[in-house]
Amino acid sequence: MLKVENLHKSFSGFKAVNGANLHVAKGEIVAVIGPNGAGKTTLFNLVTGILKPDAGSVRFRGEDITGMPPYQVCKKGLSRSFQVVNVFSRLTVFENVRVSVLARENKTWNMFTPAKKIVTPETERIVDSVGLTGQKDRVSTMLSHGERKVLEIAIALGGNPEFLILDEPTAGMSPEETGRCIDLIRKLSKDFGLTILFCEHDMELVFAIANRIMVMVRGSTIVQGPCDEVRCNQAVQDAYLGGSDACSA
Amino acid sequence: MLCQIFVGLSRTVILFIVASGLTLILGVLRIPNIAHGSLYMIGAFLAFTISKMAGGGTFGFWLAMAGAPLGVALLSLVCERGLFQYLYEREHLMLLLLTFAFSLVFGDLVKLVWGGEYKSVPVPPAFQGFVPLFGGLPFPIYNLFLLILGPVVAIALWLLVNKTKIGKIARAAAVDREMVGAVGINVSWIFACVFVIGCFLAGLGGALVAPTVSVTLGMDATLIMEAFLIVIMGGLGNVWGALLGALIFGLTQSLGILIWPQFGIIFPYMAVIAVLLFRPTGLLKSTW
Amino acid sequence: MGPVFRKKNLIIIASVVLLFLFPAILPRFYVYMAAIVLIYGLAATSLNLALGFGGLYQFHHAVFYGVGAYGAALMMMKTGLSPWLGFIVGPLIAAVLGLVMGLICIRLSKLYFGMLQISLGSLVWAIVYRWYSFTGGDDGLHGIPVPDLISSGSAAYYFTLIVTLICTYMTYRILKAPFGSVLQAIRDNTVRSEMIGVNVRRHQLMALVIAAFFAGVAGSLFVAVDTTAFPDMLFWTLSMEMVIMCLLGGWLTFMGPMLGAAVIVALRTLVSTYTVYWALVLGIIMMLVIFFLPEGVLGWLMQLSGKRRETGPENNEQKAALAGDR
Repeated sequence: MLKVENLHKSFSGFKAVNGANLHVAKGEIVAVIGPNGAGKTTLFNLVTGILKPDAGSVRFRGEDITGMPPYQVCKKGLSRSFQVVNVFSRLTVFENVRVSVLARENKTWNMFTPAKKIVTPETERIVDSVGLTGQKDRVSTMLSHGERKVLEIAIALGGNPEFLILDEPTAGMSPEETGRCIDLIRKLSKDFGLTILFCEHDMELVFAIANRIMVMVRGSTIVQGPCDEVRCNQAVQDAYLGGSDACSA
Repeated sequence: MLCQIFVGLSRTVILFIVASGLTLILGVLRIPNIAHGSLYMIGAFLAFTISKMAGGGTFGFWLAMAGAPLGVALLSLVCERGLFQYLYEREHLMLLLLTFAFSLVFGDLVKLVWGGEYKSVPVPPAFQGFVPLFGGLPFPIYNLFLLILGPVVAIALWLLVNKTKIGKIARAAAVDREMVGAVGINVSWIFACVFVIGCFLAGLGGALVAPTVSVTLGMDATLIMEAFLIVIMGGLGNVWGALLGALIFGLTQSLGILIWPQFGIIFPYMAVIAVLLFRPTGLLKSTW
Repeated sequence: MGPVFRKKNLIIIASVVLLFLFPAILPRFYVYMAAIVLIYGLAATSLNLALGFGGLYQFHHAVFYGVGAYGAALMMMKTGLSPWLGFIVGPLIAAVLGLVMGLICIRLSKLYFGMLQISLGSLVWAIVYRWYSFTGGDDGLHGIPVPDLISSGSAAYYFTLIVTLICTYMTYRILKAPFGSVLQAIRDNTVRSEMIGVNVRRHQLMALVIAAFFAGVAGSLFVAVDTTAFPDMLFWTLSMEMVIMCLLGGWLTFMGPMLGAAVIVALRTLVSTYTVYWALVLGIIMMLVIFFLPEGVLGWLMQLSGKRRETGPENNEQKAALAGDR
């Protein structure tokens, strides 16, 4: 579904992404892992159009979306959540999600109908599905950090995407919030049929839900494959997992 | 015509001095100091008072040139420590509106203290009269003094910003204030220093211009506009940019009025727009 | 929702009725002042569409107000066409100017946007100020022939009242509609808005044009009430006063700017009878508002009465994100 080939991006001489490759098939859950500074967020930014690559291509469902501006990428069915909490600070949870739904339905130019008369059922459905129903009328700044990260995902869902990119979805979450988030990601994949690409530092989480893993080190892809294959790969062990990882069975 | 251009250039020096202060404050503290024009005006009025109290001669002039900017600097220190510093964490817009509030207050304070009629500051005897320039054209000596002073101030500022310890810290703070604070430097005092120096420059500009114009209320309103435009043209936070911007502004203004007397004053504005269309962040690198 | 809803409606209806009764119960001067309040209120409300709800650093809104006034005035004075057309042409010219300025400025963010707008606006001011033969230069235009129907003080007031009510209602509808929601989202987070599929630049441009249009309406209404137009209407200090009105009233509320306008105009009239130092008073009021009432009067009142939804203490992450988003 998503095919990233040989992507390059430099910032004033610093090569953030240096020949990254990635492919994700429909329905999969793929994780991107790597040490800090490996270029994972930059990679996501390049795919979603926030940055333009210096070289390489990004294809989504066969279509070349390299360098397309973010709002167009979103309309193609690719949504994304952010690593640093990036929600609409003065709006309530409900309003946060509603804006996303309005954008998807192309109703953003409507200046006459009161917003509360449209898209309310869809918005509520999404808010319920991520478990934030109790908070829906609270301004987003009043939520806990974990709840706000879930709101991030809810906003991304508002665009009715087929492909969801999650940038460190459980960063800063407590263990129970992390557990809930894992369940949510599983639900999104199974019940909603979404293809999911995410990056994380929590290895247990990654091995728990990912079908395949791509490992990035210093801007390049060093290996892509199913969990076990990656876990036992020597290069990965040396660079990232710590060479002593027991690779039994 | 050449003479006109040179007179225009000496006005440019004043614009540069004021704009350089503005750009310093903008670059390091990220505050668009709308009160800068009022401080310029206070500088001019202070120069008038000091010069008058000292008898108006050469001594009076130099005392005013030193005393007025210092007075303005002191005033700005009080304002910064007293009010500004509590707002650094707030939204940008609030700081800007605070400086606007100050400009209102200062404007009326000047009216209160000095009254509404215009004042004049005498040119010191040493600088009175004209010099023959470029084949006999008379050129006011005072303007020559300004033309020489301009580059001196520019170089002094450059040394301050690039060669002194404070300058280096200030430049670092402009780019990343959290890091500078984390290294143990009292960012707050750095900000105060930069702010005071910037305002000192505004006062200096006002004091220097005083002998050449009638010192009146309302000096602040047009000047602040021009200073901001120069700063935007040159690149926010860039002192050389302020010089470049002032040159462009001054020259287009003089040329404009020569070529098209009625609408000549729009030439500088058009220059600004032209620059911004092609280089939206200003001609030279900004610290933002 | 029942009793609260009805109470708010009652207040609105009562206020509107009261406004309509003004000419009958107040002396002429106060009716004139009320019209001025409505005009500035409309201008401030239009500014707040761009500033408070759109997050644009709209620093030179007065340009649109002034251009609307001059457009209307010049239509009435220089063309032989019906003077009523002035009230349509003025705002339209303002809107077109908004479009042009917007196209130039919208590419930039935050402060650069504001400063470029000030530059462009100053250019317009300079042209109006100098073009003596066409715009009357620094004398301005006087004795503008407004339509006979509205030439009396009360008639002009009623005209202003009706037009202001209509425009205010339209602005309210726009803000409550999806466009308004999206605009506020853009205000809070432009990057996120782009990521959910919103063409941020185009929406901001539209907000600017609408704001410019209504400011132009306010300007042309001023011509109706005062039969004059002058260059100070385009000067940046008036723009700042409008921003103060929004801030004082409450820039995150809808009626805030209107309230702010009322307070400022009333205070200015009152203070000017005692002292000539109005700017000083205004400056001090501003400082007090900035330090103690950043939500504005209305914002603070709404917080008190609990009507404003709870905004908790913003945590450092959000603050950093907001602060870093220069």
